[in-house]
Amino acid sequence: MKLFTKYNRINITATICIFLAGSVAFYFVLDYVLIRQLDASLRSEKQEITEYIQEHQQLPEIQNTKEQWIQINKTDLPIEKPILKTIPVYNKAEAEQEYIRQLSFTVSVNQQYYLVAVNKSETETEELLKLIILVTISMVAMILLFNYLINRRLINAIWKPFYNTIHNIKDYAANKQALSLSKEPIDEINLLNESLNSMTEQIHKDFYALRSFTENASHEMQTPLAIIRSKVESLYQLAEGKEIMMQQLLSIEDACLKLSKLHQSLLLLTKLENKQFVLKESIHLKSILEQKIEERKELFESKKIDLQVNATDFEMQLHQHLSEILISNLLNNAIRYTALGGTISIVLNPQTLTISNTAIAGSLDTEKVFTRFYKASESGTGLGLSIIKEICIAAGFSIAYRFENETHYFIIDFQA
Amino acid sequence: MWYFVKKRGLKLLIIEDEFSLRQSMVDFLTASSYLCESASNFQDALEKIELYEYDCIILDIMLPDGSGLNLLKSLKENNKSDGVIIISAKGALDDKIRGIEMGADDYLAKPFHLSELAVRIAAIIRRKSFQGKSHMTLGNIIIDIQGKRVTVENKELDLTQKEYQLLLYLAINKNRVLSKNAIAQHLWGDDMDFPDNYDFIYAHIKNLRKKLVAAGTEDCIRSIYGEGYKMQIT
Repeated sequence: MKLFTKYNRINITATICIFLAGSVAFYFVLDYVLIRQLDASLRSEKQEITEYIQEHQQLPEIQNTKEQWIQINKTDLPIEKPILKTIPVYNKAEAEQEYIRQLSFTVSVNQQYYLVAVNKSETETEELLKLIILVTISMVAMILLFNYLINRRLINAIWKPFYNTIHNIKDYAANKQALSLSKEPIDEINLLNESLNSMTEQIHKDFYALRSFTENASHEMQTPLAIIRSKVESLYQLAEGKEIMMQQLLSIEDACLKLSKLHQSLLLLTKLENKQFVLKESIHLKSILEQKIEERKELFESKKIDLQVNATDFEMQLHQHLSEILISNLLNNAIRYTALGGTISIVLNPQTLTISNTAIAGSLDTEKVFTRFYKASESGTGLGLSIIKEICIAAGFSIAYRFENETHYFIIDFQA
Repeated sequence: MWYFVKKRGLKLLIIEDEFSLRQSMVDFLTASSYLCESASNFQDALEKIELYEYDCIILDIMLPDGSGLNLLKSLKENNKSDGVIIISAKGALDDKIRGIEMGADDYLAKPFHLSELAVRIAAIIRRKSFQGKSHMTLGNIIIDIQGKRVTVENKELDLTQKEYQLLLYLAINKNRVLSKNAIAQHLWGDDMDFPDNYDFIYAHIKNLRKKLVAAGTEDCIRSIYGEGYKMQIT
């Protein structure tokens, strides 16, 4: 919900409630005042009648009008106090229920009691009331409408810098420039912008600090590894005739190699997550695929793998080095998990790349298959598939793993 | 090592700040009959580069008091034709590309095999100083590096590309034990993962040996318990 909508909803609801309560109170007050006025005029009529009788010792001539009429009847029982009441009558002419206000009292003329009832129609009062209510309601409606229109213009104008700020934040990414939001005349928004500017600047700095730390840490570790490796190489020269030494040196070298690969992989993953690659090079996956297969020719031969490739050539926007890593990792993975004499099948078209291989064991854990350090066997760093996944995410591809008919399928969808 | 090494000592400058690694490289390359000088920092390296000429400079990019790339720049500004091979802990592509763009001849990411470094240095020196004309003689084997041909007693050997690469690698690192790892990495690069048994390396070695022996050379490739190999030429 937009700020304006929310504000309007509250504003309009509150205004309507206040005006409703006000109108009801206004109605009752007005009603009370008008009835009091009516009563006052009834009393003054009574006064006139009483005074007339006292003066003339006879009943006055009665002139009834539509608004006011007087009934005088003989009675035996005088009432002590005058009675005021509202009574409903049926108006035949208008065919509707009407209310009248009646003041009844007794007078005595020549020892004879008379019951006098002075009646006044309330219709006029009601008409007035109706008119007043109508005027009130239309005023309320007009106030609401103008309020809405003014608020809309005003709020939109006042909050415009705020929406600009939001728009800028939305596009912000840690690896890009820090935000430089403009100065605004409104203090609160100005404060917000300033805080955001300094916050993103800090994020930016931290991001680069972390990035160079990761890179440096990774690089610093390569030099000691290089030393270990070069020393191992020198020791090989002394290992002739000592089989155990040769084997142990080879394990040291293997461990070195693995460690160095692990570092490179972690560094690559960090870079991918930090979106440090620009995926704008035009590449041909088919030729990369062919090249990487050619490099692994001996591997396929030594495992007696039946390789089936069905690839179409097309150009796409990616990163040369990343696409090589992508294909290499997929192939390495497929080769590693194919049994001797198994089959690897690769289908490449502009929509998808599918690599499938006959499995050694059962299905991989579909939940964990792309998580870091998930390994179905001892070899490898356990980062190959995570790297594949991160490259896919960076490139906007989707990747899925399926296990069917004792075959692993890795499907990359370029369109997703 | 090569016949021309004896005629005129090939001079190398090794610029690396890490003592142990520098020492390993100096020892290894001296054993390959190169004349090695070394520098452990930017200033020292700059002075040496300005004063002398080297056949090949092995350059570490990250030095404590400056970037190796600036040394490269100064070389190019002074129109020096020394071959340069960058060794860097930064496997990062941009560094590699930048180095090559600035005129380095090759790039090797740490950690590397010294035997691989030897091959790369040999290739650079061959390109720089002989305009591609070079032959290598090992006993009665003659390797024409330019033409990528191998002859024994004037008969050409029919080698596959991998077998040729393997022979050249063994030849440059002759009389030295080379591990299966190093051989595999040299022949297939390092973005592959190798099955633990390395059977296919053995297959290549076996074929190469067979072809060499059939052509009339002595059996000079020795297996060290199947974990490594050595080409023994006296």
